[in-house]
Amino acid sequence: MKKIYIVAIIMVAVSIGLLTTAAEDMSTYATFADAASSGERVKIAGQLSKDKEMYYNPEEDPNYFSFYIKDAVGEEQKVVLLSEKPQDFELSEQIVLTGQMKGEEFVATDMLMKCPSKYKDEEVYIKSEAQ
Amino acid sequence: MEQVQYIGEHLLPGKIGQAAIMLSFTASLLSAVAYFFATQRRAAPVEAGQWLRIGRWSFAAHGVSVFSIIGIMFYVMINQYYEYQYVQAHVSEDLPMKYIFSAFWEGQEGSFLLWMFWHVVLGGVLMATGRKWEAPTLSVLALIQLFIGSMILGVYVGFGDDPMKFGSNPLMLLREVVDAPIFASADYVERIAGTGLNPLLQNYWMTIHPPTLFLGFASTAIPFAYAVAGLWVNEHKSWLKPALRWSLFSGGILGIGILMGGAWAYEALSFGGYWAWDPVENMSLVPWLILIAGIHTNLIANATGHSIRSTYAFYLMTFVFIVYSTFLTRSGVLGDTSVHAFTEMGLETQLVAFLGFFALLGAVALGLRYSRIPNPKKEEAASSREFWMFIGSLVLLFSAMIITWSTSLPVYNKIMSYFDPDYIGRVITDPIPHYNKYQIWIAVFIGLLSGTAQYLRFREQHFAKQLKRFSLHSGAALLAAALLSYLTTLWIEVNAWQYQLMLFFSWFTVVSNLDYLFITARGNLKMAGSVVSHLGFGVMVIGILASGLNQQVISNNLFVMEGLIQGATEEQMRKNVILFKGSPLIMGEYEVTYLRDTVDKFTRTFTVNYKKRDSAGQVVEEFDLKPNILYDKSFTKIAASNPSTKRYVDRDIFTHIASLPMVEIDMEYRKEREDSLNYKTHSGQLGELIAFRDTVPLRDQDTFYVKDFRARILEVDRSPSHPDYEEEQGDIPIGLDMEIQRADEDSVYRIKPVLVLRGQMLYSYPVQINDISAKVRLNEEVFDAVFGREMNMEYSPFTMKEGDQVNFNGHTVQFAGFNKNPEHPNYTAEDGDIAVSAMISVQGAKGGSYMAQPLYLIRDSRPFNLKDEIAPLGLHFRFTGINPEAETVELQLAQSEAGEKPLPFQVATDSLRSDYIVLEAIEFPGINLFWIGSTLMMLGLLLSMFVRIQQRQTARA
Repeated sequence: MKKIYIVAIIMVAVSIGLLTTAAEDMSTYATFADAASSGERVKIAGQLSKDKEMYYNPEEDPNYFSFYIKDAVGEEQKVVLLSEKPQDFELSEQIVLTGQMKGEEFVATDMLMKCPSKYKDEEVYIKSEAQ
Repeated sequence: MEQVQYIGEHLLPGKIGQAAIMLSFTASLLSAVAYFFATQRRAAPVEAGQWLRIGRWSFAAHGVSVFSIIGIMFYVMINQYYEYQYVQAHVSEDLPMKYIFSAFWEGQEGSFLLWMFWHVVLGGVLMATGRKWEAPTLSVLALIQLFIGSMILGVYVGFGDDPMKFGSNPLMLLREVVDAPIFASADYVERIAGTGLNPLLQNYWMTIHPPTLFLGFASTAIPFAYAVAGLWVNEHKSWLKPALRWSLFSGGILGIGILMGGAWAYEALSFGGYWAWDPVENMSLVPWLILIAGIHTNLIANATGHSIRSTYAFYLMTFVFIVYSTFLTRSGVLGDTSVHAFTEMGLETQLVAFLGFFALLGAVALGLRYSRIPNPKKEEAASSREFWMFIGSLVLLFSAMIITWSTSLPVYNKIMSYFDPDYIGRVITDPIPHYNKYQIWIAVFIGLLSGTAQYLRFREQHFAKQLKRFSLHSGAALLAAALLSYLTTLWIEVNAWQYQLMLFFSWFTVVSNLDYLFITARGNLKMAGSVVSHLGFGVMVIGILASGLNQQVISNNLFVMEGLIQGATEEQMRKNVILFKGSPLIMGEYEVTYLRDTVDKFTRTFTVNYKKRDSAGQVVEEFDLKPNILYDKSFTKIAASNPSTKRYVDRDIFTHIASLPMVEIDMEYRKEREDSLNYKTHSGQLGELIAFRDTVPLRDQDTFYVKDFRARILEVDRSPSHPDYEEEQGDIPIGLDMEIQRADEDSVYRIKPVLVLRGQMLYSYPVQINDISAKVRLNEEVFDAVFGREMNMEYSPFTMKEGDQVNFNGHTVQFAGFNKNPEHPNYTAEDGDIAVSAMISVQGAKGGSYMAQPLYLIRDSRPFNLKDEIAPLGLHFRFTGINPEAETVELQLAQSEAGEKPLPFQVATDSLRSDYIVLEAIEFPGINLFWIGSTLMMLGLLLSMFVRIQQRQTARA
C-alpha cells in the first residue's frame, strides 16, 4: 500500500477522533431550568421581557447590565451581562446568551441579538401618515 | 384599488434595466450553449469556429448588459429616484457621494452584480488569452453567470395563487414591492425619502473590501472552469499550467480580500480583534485553504506528474465551497450564529440549486474521467519534496474540513429538523476556543512541512547523497528556531507547550525558508514567491501568538469587585472602565485621562490622553487617541462607535467608546430626564450662608440618603456669561454668581446659573455640577427679587462737580470725571447717540474701593439713563443730567436695604453625572507581525504568478 494512503488514513482517523471530542464543545440551546440543574456554561436563546427593569449604571459598574428574558419554555429570569448595554437593545427580537447560572441570576459573558432590519413597509406607512 | 396615474416617476431607466437583465440572462445561456458546441465539435474546426464566434458575441452581449444594469443602477442611485426600491433602501439625501459604491453593494442584488461584473472582466481576459481552452472554460463561466443572473431576474414562473419567484430584481419599483397607503396618492414620489446606508458601513473599508473579496470569489471560478475543461476534453496535463497562474492570482486576491475584512473589523469596528471565527469569515477562509492545497498539488503535478487527480478535486472543491459560502451567508440559515449574515430573501431554493448543480457537475465529471487521469505507477519517495508537499495539502484540506464541519452545524440542524420536527438544534458554546484548539495543530504541521520540504527535492532518487546536506541545514535551522523561540518568550508570554511548539515551528519555517532562498536557491526569482509566502506564514503565526495570546485588556476594571463575579474568565470579560472627564486613571503602564469631546454634525470625537511616566514621575511619552461615535439622525442613539488605535512597531493600543451616559446618548431622554428632575427652591440674601438638605431614596431599598449642602450668593450679574448662552439684542439676562458645596466635602464649586428674558420667553441656562450630581437653575421669581428691589429703592439726588466727594451711608463717594467712550453692559452704541458715563469711585464704609459708571444718553433728542450698581455694598447709581454752564452733574444714589426679598435659586440633587465615558482599551503586542506576515503570504502568491506569466512570455518569444 502506498505511504500516502497510510498517511491519509491516519489523518481521517485523527479527524474522526477530533470531531468526536468536538461534540464536547457543543450543546443545545438550554432553558434556565437546564442551566440551573447542570451548572455548566450554556447558551440560552430567549426573548427580552420589555416590561421588566433594565439596569445599567456605569457609574456603579460599567460591566454590569441586568435585564430579564423569557427562555424557550417561557420561564422568566434575571440576566446579568458582564458588559455595557448595547445599542438598540430594546429593539431586539431574539437574544442568545452564553453563560451560567449563579444563584438566581444567569451571568452571561457573551450576547448576540437579532434586531429587525428596518422594516420598510412600516417606514413608508409612517411617513405617509405624517403628512 | 383603482388605477392611479402617478406623477414624478422615472420609469425609463427601470425599463431599460429590465431589458438588460433579461438580455444578460439569455445571452449567458446562449454563450454557454454556443461554447459547449464549440467544445464538442472541436474535431470539426469550421463548425466549431462558428459556434465559437456565437459564444464570443453572446458573452460580449452578456457583458454589455451586465455593465448596463450596473450603470443604470448607479444612475438611479445618484439621482436619488426613490421610486426604485433598491434606491430607497440604500441611498438617502445625506449620503455622501463617496459612499455610493458602498450603497450599491450593500444589498444582496448589488453584491451579486458585483460578482457578475468580475466574472465578465475575467471572462474577457480568458477569451483573449485562453486559446484552445477558451471554449470549454467560457462555457463553464457562462453557465455560472446564468445561475448568478437568475438571482436578480425577478420573474414569476408557474400558475395559480402561488407562482414561484425567481430572483430578486434590483430595479423593482417600491410600489411593486410593498403595499402601503401612500401609493394611493399620485405624487407619492415627492413624499418618500431614502433609508440610506447603514452608518456602520460608512467607511472606506466598505468601499475597498467587497470588490476585492468578490474579485477573489470570482477568480476561483477560473481554476474550476479549467478543471472541468480538462476533464471534459480529456486532456489532463496541458490545463495545469494556465490553471496554476489563475489560481495563484485567485489565492493572492482572495487572501487580500479576507485580510481586508479582518483589518476592517480591527480598525473601524469595535470588535477588538481581526478574526472572530464568525461563520461568514470561516466560509471565506475555507475555499482559500482548499485553493492553496490545490496550488501545491498543481505544482507537484507540473513537476512530477503526480497528484493530477487531487489537483482536479481541489480546484473543483474550491469553487463549490465558494458557492456553499454564498449559500450559507445569503440563505438566512446561519440565523443567530453570525453577526453579519444576510437575512432571508426567498432565494434559498435557487441557492441550493446553484450549489447542487456545480457540486454535482464537478463530482460527475471527476467520477467519469477518474480512471483515465494519468497517475504514475511509481510511488513518491518519502524523501521527496512532492511527498511532503502533498501531505501539506492534505493538512490544509483537513483544516478546511474541520472548520466547515463546525460552521455547518446550523445546516445540519436544519436538515435534521426536516426529518424530525422535535429535533433540538446543537450549537457550539464558545466558538473561538473551539476553533483555535484544532487550528493550532494545523499551524504546527504547516510550519514543520513548509520548512522541511524546502530542503527536499522533487523526484528524489538518491536521498542518501543528500542526507548530509539535509541534516546540516535542517539541524542548523532547528537550532536557530529554538534560539529565536527562546528570545521571543522573553518578549511575550507563551506558557502552554502547544503554543511553544507552534512558536518553534513558525520560527523553523522562517529560518529554513530564508536559508533556502539565500543559500540553496541563491536568490532564484522563481522560488522567491514560495519563500516569501512561507516566510510570511511563519511571521503571521508568530504575530497571532503575540497579539492573540498576549493581548491585554488594559481597561480591565480591577477596582470594581462585586461579590457576584467569581472566576478568572469572567473577570477577564469585564473589559470596560469608566473614565471621568479630567480625572486620570492608571491603565497598564499608562495614565489615561479623558480630556474633552467635540461635536461635529453627527460625530462626537473624544480626546483621550495617554501618558507614560518613568519612576521619577516624569512624563516620558504622551499621545492622544481620538475614538468617536456617530449619532443617528434623530440624536436618540449611537449608530456607530469608531475606535482609535496608537500604532507602535511592536504593539498597538486600541481604544473604543463602549458606552456613554444615557443623557449623552439620547437627546430625547435627556430632555425627559431634565423635566423630571426634582428641583427644590432655596433662597437667601447676598453673601448669606444658605444651608439645605436633600433626601434621595436609594434604589431597591427602603432607605434614604441624606445630603447636606451649603450655598452662598456672591453677586447678581446683569451681564452674565454661560457656555450655552449667546446674547441677542433686547435680552434681559440675570445671573447669580454663587458658591456651592456638599457639607461633608471640601470642594467648593463656583457657578453662575443664568436666566434670560427674551421677548415673552424665559430661557434657563442651568449649571450641572457633576462631582456632586447637582444641577442649579434660576426661575422667574429671581426677576421679581432683583427688580422688586429696585422698585422699593429710594434714590437721593446729588449735584456734583468733577472731584467732589460726598458721604453716603458711611461710604465715601467721589465723582472722578467723565468717560466719553462709555461702556455699559446694557448699552449698545447707535449712530447719533450722545453718550457719556460718570466715573464714580467709592471707598466702602468697611474699607475697599469700588468703581461704578452710570451712563447718561441722549438718543433721538430724548434723554435716558442706565444705572450701575456696586453689588457688595448694595449701592445703586443713576446719572440723570448734565449742567454744562455750572460744569456739574446730577447723580442719584440709593442703598438697597437688608431684609429685602431674598434671591431664589433652584437645586436638583438627583441630576446624573454626564461627564464620563465608558472605555475599552486593549493592547495588542506584535500585531504588526500578523499584518506583515499575512500580507507577505499573499504577495508571495502574486509574485509567483508574475514570475510564471513572465516565463510563459519568454518561452513564447
